[in-house]
Amino acid sequence: MGKNQPGYFGEFGGRYAPEILTEALEELESTYQKLKKSKKFKKELEFYLQNYVGRPSPLTYAERLTKQWGGARIWLKREDLNHTGAHKINNAIGQALIAKFMGKKRIIAETGAGQHGLATATVGAMFGMETVVYMGAVDVERQNLNAKKIEMLGAKILPVTAGEATLKEATSEAMRDWALNVSTTHYIVGSAIGPHPFPTIVRDLQSIIGKEARSQFKKRNHNLPHAIVACVGGGSNAIGMFHAFLKDKHVAIYGAEAGGLGPKPGEHSATLTYGKTGFLHGTKTLIIQDEAGQIVPAHSVSAGLDYPGVGPEHAYLSQTKRVDYRMVTDEQALDCFLEVTRVEGIIPALETAHAFYVARDVAKDLGKKKDLIICLSGRGDKDVTEVLRILGERSK
Amino acid sequence: MSKIKELFESGKFKSAFIPYFTLGDPNYNDSIEFGKTILDGGADILELGIPFSDPVADGPVIQRAVARSLKNKFSFDEIFRVTKQIHLHKQETPLVYLTYFNPIYHCGITKFLDNAKDSGVVGLVIPDLPFDTIESETLFQELRLRDMDLIHLVTPASTKKRIEALRKTSTGFIYYVTSFGVTGERREFSVDLKERIRFLKDTIQLPICAGFGISTPEQASQIAGYADGIIIGSAIQRVIEENGQDASKAKNVLADYITKIRASIS
Repeated sequence: MGKNQPGYFGEFGGRYAPEILTEALEELESTYQKLKKSKKFKKELEFYLQNYVGRPSPLTYAERLTKQWGGARIWLKREDLNHTGAHKINNAIGQALIAKFMGKKRIIAETGAGQHGLATATVGAMFGMETVVYMGAVDVERQNLNAKKIEMLGAKILPVTAGEATLKEATSEAMRDWALNVSTTHYIVGSAIGPHPFPTIVRDLQSIIGKEARSQFKKRNHNLPHAIVACVGGGSNAIGMFHAFLKDKHVAIYGAEAGGLGPKPGEHSATLTYGKTGFLHGTKTLIIQDEAGQIVPAHSVSAGLDYPGVGPEHAYLSQTKRVDYRMVTDEQALDCFLEVTRVEGIIPALETAHAFYVARDVAKDLGKKKDLIICLSGRGDKDVTEVLRILGERSK
Repeated sequence: MSKIKELFESGKFKSAFIPYFTLGDPNYNDSIEFGKTILDGGADILELGIPFSDPVADGPVIQRAVARSLKNKFSFDEIFRVTKQIHLHKQETPLVYLTYFNPIYHCGITKFLDNAKDSGVVGLVIPDLPFDTIESETLFQELRLRDMDLIHLVTPASTKKRIEALRKTSTGFIYYVTSFGVTGERREFSVDLKERIRFLKDTIQLPICAGFGISTPEQASQIAGYADGIIIGSAIQRVIEENGQDASKAKNVLADYITKIRASIS
């Protein structure tokens, strides 16, 4: 496999997984190539997206936020209104269908904030598949509502206590499970990361976000927006939103990544700002690491962004400068979380609050009579307890 | 001729004993002592683990070893220093590094290989670098220039097509993964283990050494009956885990264990 072959985005991507997984990855790739062209598969996916997920998700004009920020008109692509409350279900449904076509009866997943675990547990229940979700023990605590929901749906949660006990460790553990059970199990990777073909499959399944947003906006305004913004951890909602607009050169694209507490190693998850090229969890991408190539623990107030790597396509889009990736600190994200909640009556996920902060700056820079779409990747119910805890500490 | 090829062609043993342990667990200086002990106990090739923060192909015992090692400050200078000390103790025993690709990439391939060779290392095993990547091909060329070996893993899931394809860029020996999953001790092995190893021997003109899950002298003896070598990691690492706080006790237990395994496959 070479960098001009499928699975690479410029120099990034590829398949750097243990040999035991190669056969399964090749099977997944060939199955997906067939299913992509299959009318039956497309029809079935569309059926579930419409009748179970609730697509298309609306494109909402945020009148109050537009007034409040005093710049460009703000539009929200409402992935928070999907079943299970986030974009993650688009991918989980699609991959569960692929698993079904491959005859796999067991699905596993890793999860940080719990939204991907919840989406996987949901499709596991719906399709009657045995489901196991790996979640860092720290995340089981700070995202307890989602952890409880996952169990209620009949999936097994396996808390991971190694290392920082967050998403990175949960991902490693899910890969180990897959290596052991590869003939019976499909690993539903939750973001546009991992060994080829995962970044492409997840991107394709999430690209419905951008396709819908583009056509909904065009239908209402007879043109395209001036800018779009999404938050980036692994980057699945962002790549899903961006993909339909990449060729529209006059549409500015912004990604918001977690600046955490500050610029020191271990304080942030700002992979695209501070990351260096490396190899992690099966892919070549930008990674937060020390000078000896050891991965540095990531931090973010948002469990969903707390990952030291990023999808390889984002690394490529950052290198080519097609997307302007900006950092947002924990404080800035929290302030925006509260502002959007009070002004617009929508409680966004903490992940999405990062995107709102970047959007606020971009909206001001663009000025009036311009249009900006934010991918509202998920709702913030899961974050309420954590936000209240932080606010309580702040007021002490 | 590479050191490993020379060794297998020497006819010194029926089946090679290839122990593994992680450098730096619980500290670098004790690693030197453990390495010497294992060499004295009868290792034919010694595999040294360079710790990496995210060892996805390893089970809990080696994961914990890596975590303990990384509590010490990790540096390549320290890795090479310790390796050289182990090498100088018994220069005729080939040393092999097992690590993940990211640290090597960061060190820089040529710098890493020059230093590794200078420290007595003659081959590499990299579980997350498949043979059909550009980086693996580059690494293979650079290793050949230095008469060093790139040892690939073959698993029960590897297809015939892949096994045939990796012949071109594989030297030293083949690391045959005995079962699905990650490293760690097991009670049973797949029923077709013997047949798979025989198939590999017929397909690839290299020694086939089996690893992942072997821990007892009985298992070692059984598999040595049809494999060119046996690789033991987690069981050795467990001895270090359980006794590592007292280095001299750990050395005694290690010596006893290594001697028993060596005797079982002679």
